[in-house]
Amino acid sequence: MKTVRLSLVALLLFPAAPALAHKVVAAVYASGDVIEGEIGFSNGDMAPNALVEVFDDDGNKLGETTTDADGFFTFQPAEPVVHIFRSNLGAGHVADIRMEIDELPEIAGAAAVDKLSSAPDARATDTEDETRPVAATVDLEALMAEQRRIIAEAVQKQIIPLRRDIDAYKEKNDLQSIIGGIGYIFGLFGLGFYVAARRKLQKG
Amino acid sequence: MHIVDGALANEVVIGSTVLAVGGIALGLRSLPAEKMPAAGVLSATFFVASLIHVPIGPSSVHLIMNGLAGLVLGWAAFPALFVGLLLQAVFFGFGGLTVLGVNTLNIALPAVAVYYLCRAGIRSPSTTVAAVWGAIGGALAIALTTVCVAISLALTGDEFVPAAKLVFFAHIPIMVIEALITGAAVYLAHRVKPELFGVVAG
Repeated sequence: MKTVRLSLVALLLFPAAPALAHKVVAAVYASGDVIEGEIGFSNGDMAPNALVEVFDDDGNKLGETTTDADGFFTFQPAEPVVHIFRSNLGAGHVADIRMEIDELPEIAGAAAVDKLSSAPDARATDTEDETRPVAATVDLEALMAEQRRIIAEAVQKQIIPLRRDIDAYKEKNDLQSIIGGIGYIFGLFGLGFYVAARRKLQKG
Repeated sequence: MHIVDGALANEVVIGSTVLAVGGIALGLRSLPAEKMPAAGVLSATFFVASLIHVPIGPSSVHLIMNGLAGLVLGWAAFPALFVGLLLQAVFFGFGGLTVLGVNTLNIALPAVAVYYLCRAGIRSPSTTVAAVWGAIGGALAIALTTVCVAISLALTGDEFVPAAKLVFFAHIPIMVIEALITGAAVYLAHRVKPELFGVVAG
């Protein structure tokens, strides 16, 4: 009896160590002025051509988008509210991920419009002489905006792989967890064995 | 195969959980001290089996081993598989905790069904016949599990037939593998300890 059981367990334990998890994994991050996201499984496979619906905290639908062949999608946020991305991948697999307000990218429409509307107004009453400095200031602003964009892109390039690594690490199932789980199982059934045996002894 | 939190409608979750609790209660009643070690080993087997993946197209499917659990334990497969599922959810995040009842029902009910259907065949004095029935039981358990999962999804809203087909066909390699493993296990048990199915499953 023991050899049968032990060999069964051993047979199944061996390939278990390098095996990977089978969970839906999703990540979203701000990139420039859009939200970029990825949906896949934690063993590395991605989820292509999946419909992603976007909701706010109250359940109102903010929009939808679709993942491309690599499980990657983008979404342009229009309002500074919490964004919840949901995708049904079939067979009971559902991706559900939340982006808080302070993680949102710059809402380009709102911010840019404000900047543009305030600048010309302030200078509308100036004389011709001052139009050249106005032109110069606007150019400088555009230059700085461009610089900012380049810097943001460079930083994102570094950060996105790091975040991917962190997400992958979170999903790792190491041998410790496996052995821990098996220990719990044997412990629970051992306890059950003790209780059942005691009951039997008391009866008999 | 493990369904995640939020994938099913509340009515389906509550109804399935009630049925699962009933099954676990019945299982605990048919779990005397003699069956405990076998139950523990089969629970651990199920726990580890779900880590073994077979890549299918874009995603992958995993072994379940509920056929063997049902054949050896009968109704006691309910608590054994429930413990395995609970620890998987806690340790690995496989399947949600709210849908633990649904997953237990979908995986343990086919195990019990296979127990009743293949019990007589397993007890045959011929080792080959017993092994063949074991293989049938292993594959049948997976097939019934896919049907149960499809029913859970269908009751939530997905169309039954396409969902059932998708899950069923994706698990055909698993059915083959499990048939082989269960058949081999029954064969070995028959040779080494025939009382395993006579006494424990009695």
